[in-house]
Amino acid sequence: MLCDWLHLGPQEWLQFVNKEVKVKAGNDDELRGWLHTVDPVSASLVLVTFGHQGASVVVLMGHAVRELQVLREADEVTSQRLRTCFLPHRKPRLEP
Amino acid sequence: SIPTSAASHDTEQLQEEQRVRSMLRENFLRCLLSVNNKKVHFHMLEKVNVEATFGSSDIDVLNFQVSDLHTPIGVQKEALIRSRDVISFTFDL
Repeated sequence: MLCDWLHLGPQEWLQFVNKEVKVKAGNDDELRGWLHTVDPVSASLVLVTFGHQGASVVVLMGHAVRELQVLREADEVTSQRLRTCFLPHRKPRLEP
Repeated sequence: SIPTSAASHDTEQLQEEQRVRSMLRENFLRCLLSVNNKKVHFHMLEKVNVEATFGSSDIDVLNFQVSDLHTPIGVQKEALIRSRDVISFTFDL
């Protein structure tokens, strides 16, 4: 879909989370990956691609997004990997 | 930053939007934490590609602080990169 990506809201961005997406960015770049999250401040996307060893991450600036297409939904295994790929082994305490 | 959508007059709807916003933001901040001190590859406007060690970003994601920025004219020990000039950056987990 052609979209005004910067002006969508959190709930619209959430619809794309946990899905494999193809994004046209900049002038003629095309990126693919599992959408982990969208920064609600800058509208930047975090795209993750899983390999045999670990994962590769692309942070795509919101201002560069031209077109976004959903390819497929994540299965249970991929969802689990997406949920945990940035979590520390031990969660730090955030409260004072 | 991006304002709350003007259509959200309803308090419950506003709270739900804030809940989603904070969840998305937390996940993004955890991603930034994990890229700290890692080698990243910046893909920038005008087909400029540079490598650096990622430091951090300011809260509005307007600038990235990096070290050992490899430019065509040499290595810059410390640098700030404007996010407006960046299309994407890549790193391995």
